[in-house]
Formats: sequence, structure tokens, C-alpha cells
Amino acid sequence: MAKGNNSEYKKMIDKQYKDLMKHCQLHMEEIEKNLPEPKEDLHELLKERGFSRRDFVKWTSAMTAALMLPPIFRPMVAKAAESFSRLPVVWLHFAECTGCSEAFLRSSYPNVDDILLETISLEYHETLMAASGYQAEENLEKAVKDFSGKFICVIEGGLPRGLNGKYLTLGPKGKTGIQVAREVTSKAAAVVCIGSCSAFGNIQSAKPNPTDAVGISKAIGISTVNIAGCPPNSVNFTGTLLHYLMFGSLPALDGLGRPVWAYGKRIHDYCERRPHYDASEFVEEWGDKGALKGWCLYKVGCKGPYTYANCGKVRFNDGISWPIMAGHGCIGCTEPGFWDTMAPLEKPLDEKTYGGGERTVDNIGIALTGAAVAGVAAHAIASGIRHKGDK
Amino acid sequence: MEKFTSEKEWSVAMRINHWAMALSIFILIVTGFYIADPFTVSRGETVGKFLMGNVRFVHILFGVFLVFLFFWRVYLAFFSRFHADWKDFFAWTNIKCTIDQIKFYLLITKKGPDYKTLYGPMQSLAYLGLMFMVFVIVITGLILMGAGYHAGFTAICYKILRPIENLMGGLAVVRYVHHLFTWFFILFIVVHMYMAFWYDAILKKGTISSMISGNIFKKLEE
Ligand code: HEM
Ligand code: SF4
Repeated sequence: MAKGNNSEYKKMIDKQYKDLMKHCQLHMEEIEKNLPEPKEDLHELLKERGFSRRDFVKWTSAMTAALMLPPIFRPMVAKAAESFSRLPVVWLHFAECTGCSEAFLRSSYPNVDDILLETISLEYHETLMAASGYQAEENLEKAVKDFSGKFICVIEGGLPRGLNGKYLTLGPKGKTGIQVAREVTSKAAAVVCIGSCSAFGNIQSAKPNPTDAVGISKAIGISTVNIAGCPPNSVNFTGTLLHYLMFGSLPALDGLGRPVWAYGKRIHDYCERRPHYDASEFVEEWGDKGALKGWCLYKVGCKGPYTYANCGKVRFNDGISWPIMAGHGCIGCTEPGFWDTMAPLEKPLDEKTYGGGERTVDNIGIALTGAAVAGVAAHAIASGIRHKGDK
Repeated sequence: MEKFTSEKEWSVAMRINHWAMALSIFILIVTGFYIADPFTVSRGETVGKFLMGNVRFVHILFGVFLVFLFFWRVYLAFFSRFHADWKDFFAWTNIKCTIDQIKFYLLITKKGPDYKTLYGPMQSLAYLGLMFMVFVIVITGLILMGAGYHAGFTAICYKILRPIENLMGGLAVVRYVHHLFTWFFILFIVVHMYMAFWYDAILKKGTISSMISGNIFKKLEE
């Protein structure tokens, strides 16, 4: 009986994947027809950088698994990667530090993801392009017109809403960020927000938020794919674009617009220090014995239990390391408003203080409980006097 | 000599619910504070230790227990065959009676107002607050549970509750609210226990024992 069910189940799954595969193949053919020829030959570029064919195959396997697809999709992932530079991309910068671009483009040992990003067909990118002033403006207008409804709009940085958006003006015509964002995103096939600034506002929107900055989706009321993180992992971005190339649709998103394949579990669920958490082995102070032994960083403020991201799984800089591996707790940078909700960053949550002093929720709780006990004791004595001799 | 009669005040279900809740909440407070502020176990090998794991297990076990107790209590409030008491939670809406009761508590008057409801006006307010506290801690608790466990009933609850998590501002805020409400429970317990003793001492009706035996004493007028 159970066996029968199993094979039934297997048949169903097989059919699902077969349908998905068919959908994928059809879509890739469509792309061949509709999108321009690849601008760069990925394999040439990989060879130049000293990556072998084998490295590329290994990367496709890893990426297929990361996207939670079965191995039969490996050739499709490879094909999508080769077509990566067909996808026209307009990359906008608003209120941010350009750290996300930097993190993607300046790794000292670029991996396949980074090289893939180099092949991306950037029709417009303020940091990287040579044009400036009116010329830059023209480039943007041309790109939006030429690829209307086809290009992906990638946005780095949030939008200040104060003073009618005038805290952020761009270009020779002095348009506000909000204007530019409205104009460009209305013509885009999809809007992908890179980094926590464009996704949720990040540091610009931390209290007291003088410029009233928020993320793109809140600022102009559209739905966006949010590749959250400060900076996010390049894998999460390339993977999302590969998914789009393969299936013509965006991957499943959580309630905050983050792709579920990358942000579906918490840091705490993937963490290599987790056994030490369960065993009550905590680093009490930076550099103590526990720190040397790689114990859990909960008591020095790790926010892994409250943070959805796959950092521990994909890591940074070609999989070399990630914050918790390097010995500092997670600061929760993929979560909305993390500068406020995750503070203090190097202490547990309940040590948040109020009124600029040392008062934490526990101090206040203890004081109130003390007052309550004293209060009822006084009431008891007073009652004893008042109701003396009652029957 | 004064004469007393004994009257049934609490059904068996109500009494079991009361003490099960008291026990669960006590255990949840102790284990909850350990989760919030754990101490390190330095001795021994990692493989042989599982203190945080066990404490979390106990917390979540009694947490789920409290979820069921909460729904059972709400059920009793509406459908108890002995005395469905949901109306009694609104005794405080009688403002005059409430003011008289406050005067009695502040020892200004020597005798409290008469009321026909099961709870006094201040008592009803406190218990309504308690129900709200249990509701909030149960919801935030279920969210925290769903964040770490992705199967079965927990996952279904989490799917429904995730928008609330996002609305609150993320898991960190949910956790903080859960912690904050722990203190409200502690404050409630101090006042609740004192008031039970106080009633016992002032009205001499056997308030405390009534929650065990189910019966309360009434003085017979001669
Ligand atoms: C009176 C009832 C309760 C009290 C006093 C209580 C107290 C606490 C406290 C103080 C924490 C630690 C918060 C922090 O880190 O700051 C906690 C965590 C937690 N509680 Fe409760 N809690 C109660 C009920 C519940 C219920 C009903 C559930 C579940 C249905 C629950 C599930 C959890 C979970 C899952 C955690 C997080 C544990 C972890 O992430 O490892 N709690 N609780
Ligand atoms: S280091 Fe952080 S994420 Fe890792 S187990 Fe400890 S608390 Fe969880």
C-alpha cells in the first residue's frame, strides 16, 4: 500500500518536473527569437579568467541545487547562463552607498557568478558608464525606449519622500529619485531591488529617518523582487535572473518580496555553530575560550534567529567565509528596519535600552515587580488595620 | 453562631483549566527567561550537552499546551454546561459598581458593592486583560515556533500568521513583544495571588480553596 502511494507520488513529481521542463524549453526558444544575440561569449570570458569547463559544470550543479531544481535542469541553467548577456538591464542608483555594486564587481577572486554579472548587458549603470550629464540622460531614455517592456530594472538604493522627494535629485534636469523610478519602472518587465536600501530603506530609513526614506515598493507602490542584504550575495541575484531567463517568470516570493529559494530559512537554521547553541555553549566575551572553540554567538548579539537568509549556505567571496564563520554574530541585514529592530547589534535583543540610559525591559520589569510587591505588602498592612475585628 | 452554606462556584473543567494554566505559565516563564538569557555550560564535550535544546523543548511543549488551554477556556466561556461566563467578563461596564469596588479596594469603604456576576468589576477587567495577554503570547509564540520548524500543523499556523509577523516588523519585534508580555504575566501573578489572599482574609468565603474544591461559602442571614 505504502509502496503504491510512493510510486504514485513519484509519478506525480516526475510529471510536474517534466511539465516544468517543457515550459522551460519553450521559453528558452522564445528567448532565442526575441532577445538580441548574447553580447559576450561567456565561455571565452571564463577561459580568459582561468576557469575550466569543469569549473563551469560544477557551478551549474551548485546553482541548480540552490534554485531547488532537480539535476535534469543543469543543462538549462547552463544555457540560461550563456544567454545571460541577452537580457537588457537598466541599473538605477538612489539613496545608497553603491556598496552592492562594489561587492559584486570588485571581488579579488571573482567566481562564476561575478563573471556572469560582468557579462550582463548593462544598458545603463551610473557607476560604470562613461557617459555623464545630458548624454547619460539620453542613454537612459534610449534604453527604456528600445527595450520597453523587455528590460529588467535593477535598483540599488531607497527613495527619500521628504520635501516631495527633493532630498534626492539626479541628472542634468534635476529630477527627483521618485520621478526617475516611476518613469523607468513603468516600462520594465520586472523590477529587482538589490540590497536592503531599495528593498526596505535600510540605514537611510533608520530612526529618526529625517528624509522619510523608504524602499522602492513602498515609495512608488509597485511590487518588486527584493534581494535583501547589506550587501546581498551575488548568487541570490544571478539565481533570480537565471530563473527569469529559464521560466519567463520571477521565482516564488515571500510576503516581503524576497525569493523563497534564497530567503526561505533563517540564518539560525543553517548555522554551523547551531550545535553549540543547543548545547548551551556561548561566547560570553570577544576573544574568550568559547570564541576560540567556535561556540555560538547568541550572547554577543547574534541575530541569526530572527533573520531570513542563506548566507551560511552560499557564503561570500567564492564560498570562503561569511560573518558568523568569521566570528561575528549576524546583524540581521536582510530584514526590514534592522538598524532599529535588531539593535543593539552586539548584545541580545532584550538588552535594548530606553531613555538613553541603562534601562532595559528586564530592569524596568524588575522595578515594576518590586513596586507591585511593595504595594501589595503596604495594602495588606493597611487592610489589617482598617478591617481589624471584622467578622 | 453564624451559619454557612457551601455553594458550587467552579466546575471541574474550569478548575483543571485554571491550575493547568498556572503550571504552564510558571514553567513557561522560567524556561522563557533561560532562552532569553542563557548561561553557558562549560564542562564536558559538546556531544554530551543539550541544555538549550531541552529547555526549548520544554518551553515549546508547554507553549503548545497553553495554546490548547487557551482555546479550551474560550470554549468554556461560551459553552460551559455549568456556567458559561463570557458575560461576566464585562462586569466592569457597570461604572457605578466599578467605582464602589475601587473604593472598597482602596479601603475607603468597608464593604464592597453587591454584584450578581461571577466576577467583580475590577476582577472582570483583569481577567479580560489576562485573556488578551494569553492571546498575544500564544500568537507570538506560534510565530516563533513556525520560524524554526517547517512541517505539519506548525507550518500551517505559520502560513496564516506570517503576515502578522511582517506587520509587526519581523521576528525580532515578535520575540521582543513575547519577552515584554512575560513581564505582564509576572505583574499579573503578583496582584492576582495577593487579591485571592485578600478576598479570603476580608470576605472569609474561602476564595482560595474554592479553586480547588469548587465550592465557596456563603454566610446565611439569620
Ligand atoms: C505565559 C506564557 C509564555 C511566557 C511567559 C513565555 C516566555 C518566553 C520568553 C521570555 C522567551 C524568550 C524571548 C527572548 O529571547 O527575549 C520565549 C521564547 C519563545 N517562546 Fe515563549 N512564552 C510563553 C508562551 C509561549 C507559547 C504559548 C509558545 C508557543 C506556542 C511559545 C513559544 C516560544 C518560542 C518558540 C520561543 C523562541 C524559542 C527559540 O527561538 O529558541 N511561548 N518565551
Ligand atoms: S551563532 Fe547565531 S545563528 Fe548561529 S547558532 Fe548561534 S545564534 Fe544561531
